[in-house]
Amino acid sequence: MSEPIIEVKNAKKIYKMGKERIRAVDGVSFTVDKGEFCCLLGTSGSGKSTLLNLMAGIEKLSSGQILIKGESIGGMSENKLSKFRQENLGFVFQSYNLIGSMTALENVELPLVFKRIRGGKRKKMAKRILKQVGLKDRIGHKPKEMSGGQQQRVGIARAFVSKPDIVFADEPTGNLDSKTTIEVMELIKAMAQKNNQTIVMVTHDKKLSEYADKIIHILDGKIESVEITNHEWSLGDGGCGPSPEGASPSEKRPPGDGGCGSPTWTPGDGGCGSSETDVSTTEKQ
Amino acid sequence: MRIFDLIKMGLRNLLRRKARTLLTVIGVIIGTVSIVVMISVGIGMNESFETSVMQNGGMTIVQVSADSWSEDENGEWKQTLQNLDDKVLDRLRQIEHVKAITPIINNWSMQIFSGKYNTWTQFMIMDMDCYEGFGYPALEDGTYPNKATSQDAIYIGSQAIQGEFQYYDGRRAKTKDVDIYTDPLSIKIQDYQYQVNPRKKEFEQKLNSRYMIQASESGYSQADYSCFIDIDTYKEWYKKFANTLKISDRKKALASLEKYETIMLNVDNMNNVSEVQEEIEKLGFKSMSDMQYIEPMKETAEMMELVLGAIGAVAMLVSAINIANTMIMSIYERTKEIGIMKVLGCKVGDVRKLFLFEAGIIGLIGGIVGIGLSYLVSWLLNTYGGQIFESLMSGSMGVAEGSAFSVIPFWLPFFAAFFGMMVGVLSGFFPALRATKISAIEAMKSE
Repeated sequence: MSEPIIEVKNAKKIYKMGKERIRAVDGVSFTVDKGEFCCLLGTSGSGKSTLLNLMAGIEKLSSGQILIKGESIGGMSENKLSKFRQENLGFVFQSYNLIGSMTALENVELPLVFKRIRGGKRKKMAKRILKQVGLKDRIGHKPKEMSGGQQQRVGIARAFVSKPDIVFADEPTGNLDSKTTIEVMELIKAMAQKNNQTIVMVTHDKKLSEYADKIIHILDGKIESVEITNHEWSLGDGGCGPSPEGASPSEKRPPGDGGCGSPTWTPGDGGCGSSETDVSTTEKQ
Repeated sequence: MRIFDLIKMGLRNLLRRKARTLLTVIGVIIGTVSIVVMISVGIGMNESFETSVMQNGGMTIVQVSADSWSEDENGEWKQTLQNLDDKVLDRLRQIEHVKAITPIINNWSMQIFSGKYNTWTQFMIMDMDCYEGFGYPALEDGTYPNKATSQDAIYIGSQAIQGEFQYYDGRRAKTKDVDIYTDPLSIKIQDYQYQVNPRKKEFEQKLNSRYMIQASESGYSQADYSCFIDIDTYKEWYKKFANTLKISDRKKALASLEKYETIMLNVDNMNNVSEVQEEIEKLGFKSMSDMQYIEPMKETAEMMELVLGAIGAVAMLVSAINIANTMIMSIYERTKEIGIMKVLGCKVGDVRKLFLFEAGIIGLIGGIVGIGLSYLVSWLLNTYGGQIFESLMSGSMGVAEGSAFSVIPFWLPFFAAFFGMMVGVLSGFFPALRATKISAIEAMKSE
């Protein structure tokens, strides 16, 4: 867990708006370890999304350096970047970003299509992962025929299908209700844990950050503080993880602190339950 | 991306906006049909013109005459006397594209006799080895004459000799029906510029070896109205004739054998006629061909073909703009989608290929359907277009019997399909370039 997979070194992103210079990301440095769940937490306009875009190579750095698996993402050509994304990166978006004309299965296949994986193998991989996210009977549906939660599950399946080392998630639950939010977060967490994948998630929601191993508080383009929640995560433990102040797994969460933000939630019941069973079924395979 | 996936995705994108794709394809179809039909009509006009010219025959024949008249720049006619002998013949033979060449002697003082009755005909005295090379019809037995069969022989054109021979006894003309196949015939030369030696027997050559020539296709070509004699045979006969002359004229008559009135060439292809004529000019001789007079008309026909093609090309240009417009619209609609594809690892080259493929397939489908429709339109034109064309081209150009108005040569459909696709790809090029410039950040923008 100590091996850094992402290294951000004095990253700066400056936008020029007329004469004004806006420092969206202003000299940020941190590392994310392999298998870590890292959360960039900040209010709207804090620069957290820009930071994520920089890390994913979607936007170019103004100065500084970002290394992913030891490679500088800012210095890559378009083609190299595409290849790098195919091999190493997965994305979960706030608005799902599924292609409307494609079925769930085809959407999940898409990253594999770009990776030049053959049809048969591709379908198998996509079907397996759709089963894992609990959409076995939805593979032929178009996004319009699915609920928000189901769409985001397709999005998650698409992000994880090629087993990337890092999955970036930009407000993955921003458009979902609280119940579905829990399901989706559980799912992301479980999927990542299974293959020791690294998650970098952007959110403004403090409660969601409780899923993370490392919370980076961003304010006005700068790191306000880095919080490491050294908890042990297990499914049996109930999924939501300890509160920020919880230091050890044995320590019981104080009642009423709202853990996952869902007042109805109790370990093993509805909310997380569906995704739990889905994950457990895959584990049996 | 694999090519198969690219095709699948491209087709899916086209099918997503069925109405728009269909309209764009219809645009290409109209463009293709107009260009193909216009070109085919141009070709049809050219061909019908050529066949009508060919029916008159002799388009590839070039003549070099000893006594040549030509018009100079000021429009004044000038006579050129040229000395044509065997040397000149050999030099002209060297010219490229000359399929056949022969000296021609037209002896107007020869007549065919049956007893005292005679008839008058036109003689073509030429090198019989070249006979076939000038495209003259075969003999009645289907073979062609040559030097070996021409010894003392005469070849009679289908219309050359009237069966009715005449004799003028000083008071009135008598006629006699002669069977040119079986009745005995002979040739006499009565050239009044030479004085006959009265002590010698009059020259008379019996025509025992007679061949009948088949009627030509048109039925009224030069071959139908001429009798052919090989030049060597003729020279022998003429020497015999010269022997009957007074000594003073004998030399003069023999000397006339050394010079030819005309040298006739047949060029391998109509298009090479002017080239051959230029070569002859370089050798210092004036030549003549029917092609000279046809050339400006031919140029007009070719011009017409070009103009028609250009009209078709305008329609194609409009459909190219149409494709570009469709693709640009498509890019605006799919901006986010392209962003997403990029974030998911789609290469820039694949985005470009995808758009070029979509534009190209619109062009290709339009081209292929357009070709099919073109054949239909072409068929309609050929079946029902007669009246329209007659009124359109009244007087300007006769349409040859049995020729088509619209001719689609075998290469035209391939050209049209390829052209349609190229138009698609080219008009998709700019939009595709635009698509590649869409940033992955589009995917991150929330709606």
